[in-house]
Amino acid sequence: MQKKRNIQTGADQKFPSFGGVRRGLSFSPPSEGSGEARRVAFKTLGCRLNQYETDALVTDFSSAGYQLVELNQSPDVVVVNTCTVTNQSDQKSRTTISQAARANNNAVVVVTGCMANNFKEKLENQDNITFVVENNRKSSILSLVDAHFSGEILHPNQLPQDVFRYEPVRQSLHTRSALKIQDGCDNFCTFCIIPMVRGRAVSRSVESVLENVRKTIDNGFREIVITGVNIGRYEYEGHRFEDLLEKILEVPGDFRVRISSLEPDGFGDRFVELFQHQKLMPHLHLCLQSGSDKTLLRMRRMYDVDQFRKTVNRFRSVYPDFNFTTDIIVGFPGETEEEFQETLAAVREFNFSHVHTFKYSVRKGTRAERLENHVPEKVKNARSLQVRQLSEENRMKFLKIFVGKEQQVLIEKIVQGTAYGYGESYVPVRFRADGVQKNTVRRVKLLDLKGEGENMYLTGEII
Amino acid sequence: MMSFIKPEIKIDESFYKVEEIRQLTDETFSLKLPKARFAFKAGQHISLGIKGDYQSREYSIYSGANDENLEVLVKEVENGYFTPKLRKLKAGDLVEVHGPFGKFGIEQKDAETGKFVFIASGTGIAPFRSMVRTYPELDYTLIHGVRYSHEAYDKHEYTNDRYILCTSRDKKGTYNGRLTNYLKGCTFAPKTHFYLCGNSDMIFDALEILKDKGFERDQIHCEVYF
Repeated sequence: MQKKRNIQTGADQKFPSFGGVRRGLSFSPPSEGSGEARRVAFKTLGCRLNQYETDALVTDFSSAGYQLVELNQSPDVVVVNTCTVTNQSDQKSRTTISQAARANNNAVVVVTGCMANNFKEKLENQDNITFVVENNRKSSILSLVDAHFSGEILHPNQLPQDVFRYEPVRQSLHTRSALKIQDGCDNFCTFCIIPMVRGRAVSRSVESVLENVRKTIDNGFREIVITGVNIGRYEYEGHRFEDLLEKILEVPGDFRVRISSLEPDGFGDRFVELFQHQKLMPHLHLCLQSGSDKTLLRMRRMYDVDQFRKTVNRFRSVYPDFNFTTDIIVGFPGETEEEFQETLAAVREFNFSHVHTFKYSVRKGTRAERLENHVPEKVKNARSLQVRQLSEENRMKFLKIFVGKEQQVLIEKIVQGTAYGYGESYVPVRFRADGVQKNTVRRVKLLDLKGEGENMYLTGEII
Repeated sequence: MMSFIKPEIKIDESFYKVEEIRQLTDETFSLKLPKARFAFKAGQHISLGIKGDYQSREYSIYSGANDENLEVLVKEVENGYFTPKLRKLKAGDLVEVHGPFGKFGIEQKDAETGKFVFIASGTGIAPFRSMVRTYPELDYTLIHGVRYSHEAYDKHEYTNDRYILCTSRDKKGTYNGRLTNYLKGCTFAPKTHFYLCGNSDMIFDALEILKDKGFERDQIHCEVYF
């Protein structure tokens, strides 16, 4: 049984120099005697940033000769990239770790991600985990695993701390490639654990971002999703988010750009104008969190509903079909029924095509943990259900707008003659896959709305 | 104070020795630290931890950007976890400081020509003292809401015509009653920059009052305290 590796970190312990085991430099041969490549499986929980980081690790391991397999295909290495944003995320992360370890008794189990930061000591004491790697050292997991297989003693704490060390994604678990431009957050919203587990806000250099964009396009990706923890606060040597975005859009090539989750503060008209660029897709996931100004203040969010309204209206006055999705937290401490009704009214008014609904859960060490009037779980459940139902109604209304219109659809997969993909406005589309290929863009006329709830989609035909 | 440490020499910038606990009332004190190389903009906050303790809290900086010390204003919370520990610190004890953080501040160009109204409840006065000390020529009015007049922290540092003390539990303030009631009766120049700092209820009420008076939300900057 592989698992726990007892590594002493005392001063007398000699560690091999890190430079000798960086990816590709001293990769050891595959499983001794077998002649086969080592096998690695990944499991990712949580946000798009985590997905990006896993994709970058997939590229790393693939470049080093590892074969990518599923968890149930006897991997030699299992990497679980965890999330800790809610209690539920913690629970899912724990379950995934246990299942992955139990099903793969001889595998090296590496646990990383936000939960690894939040519960580091606890996880390090678990016998079913070989290594616990913090977020800021995640990009060097290949080196750690490589050293392990080479019989070298390398502790995760010896890995370099660099949140932007990731290579451009080449082989991905997704059709789109995310691109990390920023990490960490200094907003200290009262409910949020992320500043504690992702650290302070830090931005990637403009040149590094642009180089990554160019390489990602060269690697064959047709869509790039700009991601980070709080990307609207990007700031590098005087360049702000809009400046960077404009430079990304100017990179030559046939590709399109999406922006992942964004905080609703600090944009000007220039940001709105940038969406006239044909490469920039008309969709924003703009995190409202609550439709009540009182709740927003208790959350320490630095905008009010009226400012949010102005942003939405500004966009839709220029781009009427602009797609807004959002995050809502229900049952935040002190949230009254009246305040919750304000949230429902806001969700209805802004016609979000999707609401990612979170039931508030206490994160240890956050300010909200110490707030009074915590909302009973039963009330949270009921409120969550109401928001989800409203979200589904909204989704139908929003998708209906597109019937009879056209969208450029990026094909993500083809299953039994049907092509699945997303249009510019991030609307899901299915159509007959006559002579089309995955990862290509086709103009599609949208004909009808099918499916139910969150699985609703548009059907169409290639023009 | 001039630093003779060569810039290329890396020092541990996270830990600071407490210089003084300056008692302002029975419950409130300022924690004075050496400023060393710590650079910040008036209005920003820091994360403060106690060496050996796993918790930390955020505090607005109470001192000016050019002062010799880095200071925060702390009100002890009865039966709280953190503030009683802070209060027990002595000169020479180590605290951990991270930051500075936040965008709650004044643009240099506005500081020279703008009109400012600072609205604070309790220890929410901290970032405004920092701003006033950083920009000595600032054209400001500070409206400070407290329960009792002795909570007018470092009142002597502000000229009488710029400092309005609203006391809700005694009659020794410039105005006897809640800060928000005082605010309702005020008139302000149209292009005034408003800065609000304090508890969320005060900020919510003050925002409503200012919006009712016709001020745009973009003119009003908020920093919520808990």
